[in-house]
Amino acid sequence: MDKNRQGAKASYVAFFVFVALWILAPSFVRMGTREAFVEFQAPALHLVAKGRDLARFWELKSKSSEELAAASRDLARINAALELKVRTLEDIRQENIRLRELARYTAPREFLTIVARVASRDSSSWWHRIILRKGRSDGIRPGCPVVFSDRVIGKVSLVHLNTCEVDLVTSPNFRCTAYLEGDEQGRIVLVSGLPANSLGTARAKIAVIPTDYVAPAGQSAKVVTTGMGGVFPAGLTIGTLDSNIRTTQEGNFKEGTLQPSRNLFSLQEVSVLVPIHPAAGEILLEKRYEDFQ
Amino acid sequence: MRDLNDLKVLPSTRIERLRLILVFWIFSSGFIYVAAGLLVRQWLQSGDLKEQSDSQSRRIILKPPARGRIHDRNGYVLVDNRVRWSVKADLSELQPEFQTEYRKLLAAERARETGQIDREKIQDSARLNVLQRWLDKVWFVIDATSRNIKKNKIPVKSNPVDSPSERLVKIDDLRKHLRERRALPYTLVSDLAFPVADQSITTEEGVRAVARFVEQFPVDGPIRLDSDIIRTYPYGTLAAHVLGYVKDTDELPPNTLNDEKNELLQKLHYTGKKGAAGIEESYNEILCGLSGWELWTKTSAGYNKELLRKSDPTQGSFVVLSLDIEIQRAAEKALAQIKDSQGKVLPAAAVMLDVNTGEILALASQPTFNPNRLADRVTRTYFDEIETSGGWLNRAIQGLYPPGSTFKVITAIAGMRNKVIDWDDILECGPSYRVGGRDFPEHDPAGYGQVDLEKMLAVSCNVWNYQVGLGVGIEPLAAEARRFGLDTPLLQMPPSADNKNTTELPFPANRGLVVPDTAYKLRIGAGPWTGGDTANTAIGQGFLLTTPLHMACVAASVARGETRTTPTIIHDPGRDARHQGAESIGLNGLQLAALRSGLNRCVEEGTARSVMIPGLAFAAKTGTSEYFQKGQKAHLAWIIGYASADNPAVAFCVLVEGQLDTSTWGGKTAGPVARDMILAWAKKTPVSEVKPEVEEPAR
Repeated sequence: MDKNRQGAKASYVAFFVFVALWILAPSFVRMGTREAFVEFQAPALHLVAKGRDLARFWELKSKSSEELAAASRDLARINAALELKVRTLEDIRQENIRLRELARYTAPREFLTIVARVASRDSSSWWHRIILRKGRSDGIRPGCPVVFSDRVIGKVSLVHLNTCEVDLVTSPNFRCTAYLEGDEQGRIVLVSGLPANSLGTARAKIAVIPTDYVAPAGQSAKVVTTGMGGVFPAGLTIGTLDSNIRTTQEGNFKEGTLQPSRNLFSLQEVSVLVPIHPAAGEILLEKRYEDFQ
Repeated sequence: MRDLNDLKVLPSTRIERLRLILVFWIFSSGFIYVAAGLLVRQWLQSGDLKEQSDSQSRRIILKPPARGRIHDRNGYVLVDNRVRWSVKADLSELQPEFQTEYRKLLAAERARETGQIDREKIQDSARLNVLQRWLDKVWFVIDATSRNIKKNKIPVKSNPVDSPSERLVKIDDLRKHLRERRALPYTLVSDLAFPVADQSITTEEGVRAVARFVEQFPVDGPIRLDSDIIRTYPYGTLAAHVLGYVKDTDELPPNTLNDEKNELLQKLHYTGKKGAAGIEESYNEILCGLSGWELWTKTSAGYNKELLRKSDPTQGSFVVLSLDIEIQRAAEKALAQIKDSQGKVLPAAAVMLDVNTGEILALASQPTFNPNRLADRVTRTYFDEIETSGGWLNRAIQGLYPPGSTFKVITAIAGMRNKVIDWDDILECGPSYRVGGRDFPEHDPAGYGQVDLEKMLAVSCNVWNYQVGLGVGIEPLAAEARRFGLDTPLLQMPPSADNKNTTELPFPANRGLVVPDTAYKLRIGAGPWTGGDTANTAIGQGFLLTTPLHMACVAASVARGETRTTPTIIHDPGRDARHQGAESIGLNGLQLAALRSGLNRCVEEGTARSVMIPGLAFAAKTGTSEYFQKGQKAHLAWIIGYASADNPAVAFCVLVEGQLDTSTWGGKTAGPVARDMILAWAKKTPVSEVKPEVEEPAR
């Protein structure tokens, strides 16, 4: 019995010693531990995501040949339409090149695109953050915009060796400037994510909408990036403006709610746009600022 | 087992019992005292104690509201609000950083062994260093483009020697903030879109700076993006003297807070704005709105901890002015074209008002100022620039000038009403007229020969007016001027501050108006009145002093056949067309017709013929009076009148202060401004009423 008591005491002592060491440990030790934990966790995330992909593969494989034939027919039609679109775009690209040559304009290619699979959602902030299966080793840097097709998904907030975390547009840590469809004067509005609990709905707020702004009749106004902030390319869709726009009590502006793209909640794959030249914000995030000059 | 009696728990003797009772009562009294104290504290004094506790642990922060808009009569927004993005530091969140920096500086100071250590100074330096580092980061983000970053061109660290002041945290500002407003965030950049005062940057550059900060600066941290509402004047200098400007104030408008309940709470407030001139000042109570408030708990160090309740500010009401932006713009544009030989804009004023209602359609004064540059941060340079140019003075209502020949209208009316002359009487007018041994000259050396009322008004004959003025005498002449309100300040303060529905405009009263008479000359110690003084007064010279607005009102009154016009700057579609103190002009039909015909002839063939508008007949009287500037004679150019001649709807007055080296004449200098105002008015008037054949005749 005494032995048991001594054992219990020892475990308590060990626990308190560990807690005390953790509290007293320098910040780099704690950061290193966290990073190590993330890297330790990464293979598990990869495994789970790959398992999900495999399940999807077997699910598709179990389809009947009639279903596959129908899907194949649909796909062929879509392919034909897309091929046409590709040709049109190619024409436009050639024309663009011709005009640039005429004007002797050499625009730098601003972003590299890295396609990444979604590993999981961050369970601690379900509506606000996703984890991608690519990280520093793939060239992803903090602050990079994340898109799907022409829609903004969010912004990379933390980069680990093989994974990275993305703040979604509904995250309170996300904000950007945007234009509203139908505003011919092109005045900027502010989009920022709102806090929400895990059972709540993901939301983002659109603020500083001019009082004389009128949304296009019969449809939700698209909210698109301005390209002025140096993070997001111009013209990407962030979402749509909820019809319930209200004037603030101060009376000078309206505000509304952003309806994010549905893809935001069933994402499997996204593109990370890595700027060729780092933006100032990225330097701040990477804490390289002090060494910059 | 031991006997219970051996324990001696219970008293067995009388003395012991007495002791026990005594102890019992002592303790009971003590308990009763404590219980009663508790009762008093918890029940009777709970309210007061809670209030005291709240007052020590809570505070209220008052937030200024957005001011109401100002519109012109057609709904154009003349004064609006814009969002001002600022960057602020949350000092409570920066505490750990301050501490770390403090320890670092203290250690460095100890290592130097300089003797006594000034801990307060070190603390200030620690705060300054931390805030400066953050400010540098902010500038790094808003200034940095990828190209500059690639070339390593962005200055990362500011220093007090080379860096511009907006990039430096000022220790005095910081100390003041910590002393007075510790709980409020400290402003690092007060206007992100226009970060450098007195430096013009394009709107797009400003927006880019805001966008860069929004998208690139970390959201979670002690540095916050904050927004408030400030005044903006979309048309810049347009109608600046009427609209006025705003300035900082610590006296915020009323709020919805229950003051009795929160009387004891500490109150802090953000800096608000109040009107400093023009409509902004005079209608401040209507425009200012209601302040908002936030109820916070506070930490022992005095920083905010938790927001308990809040009420948003409420925007002020709007004001609709009688100004018409198109006419105002035309007036200002035309005034800006009047320059001296060195290309400098001449001081001038122009007024146009509705003949029937007295509503002012245009009220321009130059030189002027840009209220946008006074709305937020006023630089000494700009203030001095306005001061030197005389731009603060609203010449249309505050400038006092001799009215010159435009006063001849009053002299003529006085002559007819006093039976000195009738509408068809003809006077012989030579090149001069002798009064008291002195020759008073005609402005045409050849003289005008036989002159009747109409011809006098057309050619502005001086000798006719000398004769009539002397015939009438100074007292009746002055009485006539007073009948037209030339001694009565216009646009005065409302009679009571509570009378918010007043339609009067409380601009600074045009005090100093002079309608001279014998008593006046004696009062100012200039000796007895002479015939020469009367002759001078009859042609609008001498001691007479009036404002362009007064003369515009005279023109409007003559157009209506009355004596007074009450001008107003506030638009009211249902305004009563009656004018305070107005009575009939007191002329018979023939006399009035001749008077009006003379004013028409002034444009058709007289001194204002250079600004005739084909197809649009209007009536006018020009004037070129003399005044002394720096001891030398200079000219004032005047024109008053109304349009159209047959159906008067608008009356106007233009005044230009000629400089020493500039030849300034009523018709030639002031006339084009009047013509441009009339054309702007005609464009907006239904075609059936007015149809000018040529819209923009060449000058």
